[in-house]
Amino acid sequence: MGFTRISGKMIEAQVVPGQPLYSQRGAMLAYRGEVSFTPNLTGGQGGVMSALGRRARGEAAPLMTVEGRGSVYFGHGGHHVHVVDLAGSLLHVEADRLLAFEGSLRQGTVFLGSQGGVMGMVRGQATGQGLFTTTLEGHGSVAVLAHGGVLELPVTPRRAVHVDPQAYVAHRGDLRNRLSTALGWRDMVGRGSGEAFQLELSGQGTVYVQASEEKL
Amino acid sequence: MAQFRLQDGKVLAVDLTGDAVRAKNGSMIAYEGDMTFKKLTGGGDGLRGMVTRRLTGEQLEVMEVKGHGTCYFADAAGDVSLVTLQQDTLHVEASNLLCTAGGLRTGTTFTGLRGASQGNGLFTTTVEGTGQAALTSQGPAIVLRVTPQTPLRVDPGAYLAHSGRLRQEFQSGVTFRTLLGDGSGEAFQIRFEGEGLVYVQPSERETLGGQV
Repeated sequence: MGFTRISGKMIEAQVVPGQPLYSQRGAMLAYRGEVSFTPNLTGGQGGVMSALGRRARGEAAPLMTVEGRGSVYFGHGGHHVHVVDLAGSLLHVEADRLLAFEGSLRQGTVFLGSQGGVMGMVRGQATGQGLFTTTLEGHGSVAVLAHGGVLELPVTPRRAVHVDPQAYVAHRGDLRNRLSTALGWRDMVGRGSGEAFQLELSGQGTVYVQASEEKL
Repeated sequence: MAQFRLQDGKVLAVDLTGDAVRAKNGSMIAYEGDMTFKKLTGGGDGLRGMVTRRLTGEQLEVMEVKGHGTCYFADAAGDVSLVTLQQDTLHVEASNLLCTAGGLRTGTTFTGLRGASQGNGLFTTTVEGTGQAALTSQGPAIVLRVTPQTPLRVDPGAYLAHSGRLRQEFQSGVTFRTLLGDGSGEAFQIRFEGEGLVYVQPSERETLGGQV
């Protein structure tokens, strides 16, 4: 199973009975075989309660369930697609950057304020992530959208990575993120270097960064 | 010395060991280690540069990046090309200049009619000295060599940069048909003569010449 890269902007997914996929609605480009696409009113996994939760939190990206037998091609808006294979680890990603993921993964929503309290909430606002973000956990593949190519940067306890909030795509593993500010008097008078806010990621894992400062 | 590396075409990685580079404002996407970012007013060319840039409209919004570690730069998913200069001058549009090594000097020069036809104004940025510089383009750029025997003509909208001892001349292929509105869209070209390199991108900016 898993996703096969066709080009930098398109992936092929194998669908077999009993193992559904979830994808962003309308992201199917072509398919072979007997495959059905059902709009997922609950916006992902879980029951009605988790759907209501996502709706309330603004993390309800329109998803569809892909079932049957065959192969499906996915792509969206000419954006680059990056495949992340999760082997039991946890991925944090914005719902609107999710192109497709395997049904074997557990989907959840986390409150950014739970990491760092008020600063976490400020961080979500400053980075345009909002107050909530989507998590995926377990074994399986995830396809993530990015503008421009994706750069994977490993983070180790001895090597923290700072990321421009606009270029941040996703992160995997046991990472703590913190909004660090380098606001000086120059920023107050409008002469800033444009790098006043940075996300500092520390711990053990990987951070995915896109080659552009454009949000999707 | 700052080491410039390409990271899959669209990302520039610069290894810094306490030295400084100049990069387009806001183009940092990530870094490891300790870095400081400081905006340089007037393109980092001092007071004279500031006045010149203000007058010529060739505004260069740059910041100085200094520290230890690796810094990653990218600009709107543009493709990055590395240029190594050996006591040479590179002419480039300010908007296409991503990063220059600390030892390089930047300035402005007059380009004349060519600049106007490109829709970039009458002035362009020069980078001179010895060191590495990074350019961004829409699509991967190609490098074309110009020799005295083989002059080159380039579409103003696809022109990115040039280096070496080159003379440039603006030429027009405006004919009777162009005036009738039956043009091929290739009414203007820049002709390069001499010895040097020209960088061309596989995309065309909106130019006056491209309309006719």
